[in-house]
Amino acid sequence: MATMRVNGIDVHVQRLGHDSGSARPVVVLIHGLLIDSLASYYFSLAPRLAEEGLDVVMYDLRGHGKTSRPPTGYRMEDFVDDLDGLLDALVIDRPVHLVGNSFGGAVAYAMAAARPERVASVIAIEAEPPARAWARNMYEGLVGEQGGLVVQQVTQWLRENPGERNARPFRAAGRVLDETALAQEIPLSALLDEDLSAIRCPVFAIFGGASKLSAQTGMLEASLPHCRTVVLPDLGHSVLVEATAQTYALVRDWLLLGQEAHALGEAR
Amino acid sequence: MTTELDRPVGQSDSGRTSAPDAATALADISAILRTVLEEYGLDDSEITLDTSFHDDLELESIDLVTLSAQLREFYGERVNFAAFIADRGLEEIIALTVGDLVGYVVDSLAVAEVG
Repeated sequence: MATMRVNGIDVHVQRLGHDSGSARPVVVLIHGLLIDSLASYYFSLAPRLAEEGLDVVMYDLRGHGKTSRPPTGYRMEDFVDDLDGLLDALVIDRPVHLVGNSFGGAVAYAMAAARPERVASVIAIEAEPPARAWARNMYEGLVGEQGGLVVQQVTQWLRENPGERNARPFRAAGRVLDETALAQEIPLSALLDEDLSAIRCPVFAIFGGASKLSAQTGMLEASLPHCRTVVLPDLGHSVLVEATAQTYALVRDWLLLGQEAHALGEAR
Repeated sequence: MTTELDRPVGQSDSGRTSAPDAATALADISAILRTVLEEYGLDDSEITLDTSFHDDLELESIDLVTLSAQLREFYGERVNFAAFIADRGLEEIIALTVGDLVGYVVDSLAVAEVG
């Protein structure tokens, strides 16, 4: 069960709180790019959400963690096909809630747009929908004029910490960048229309106040028919790591109280 | 990623688990850790109660996921390593030893027996 053949690759899957005897609400947690894996959720939100009675699915994105690292196939549409195929493989045919952190949030938005019948809601943590601004940010981070800001950070860390213990996540990120077309392909992804009209499900967007992405709250609320945003003051991009308990409480309330909490948020 | 380990020594046919002692738990957990470490070729290192997950075994978070899944498979739902880790801060996790895990496993199965 830990590895499933999906969309031509082996996908590492972990599931907590699954009960074959009852149809619990399914929530799929999608991690971020490069120095990240499903472990970020496995030891933070996932066990708590499972204890609340949710069926929690986590997987490593292609190129990450213990999932295959194919040389090519890293456009957003590939990530969406993986998630779509994963739900098929798990025989989940009810709409699922998607929680995505950073790049994982973009995957969640893209999935909601491509397969609206499969997505009950999107919770985007420090993430933006994959439209033009996202593609520009991805290009600056991964390609850019000097090889991309994110790529520079990874290679600089590896250079400054030779032989460092527990450098495996950084070495893994280095391998993805060296051995695959991920950095070149992600900015070439098919993009959503700028009006975001393809996203029709309820959306809950969580931002850190010190992150530049938090400037998108107004745009999201104006574009999306059912959207609630929360900005956590003083936090940067790493909301999930720096404010795990607070993030958990927001995600839990959205998932368990659902539309009532959503309506309440809108009424405020 | 299935393990070929035997069931815990204390588990009877009825599925009811009697709590293992620390020595039994250490032997079982060492065997599980060796399967987790196999892919890194570190499977010959000696594992004691003082062995640190971070400094000695160099386990990173995705390896702890594998460990957690295998503990659950071996001991059952009562050993919830994911929740055990989720309740701890980063510094505590970095300082974690095999002895801490042995203690947790023994305690949670003993509680399960009483309950």
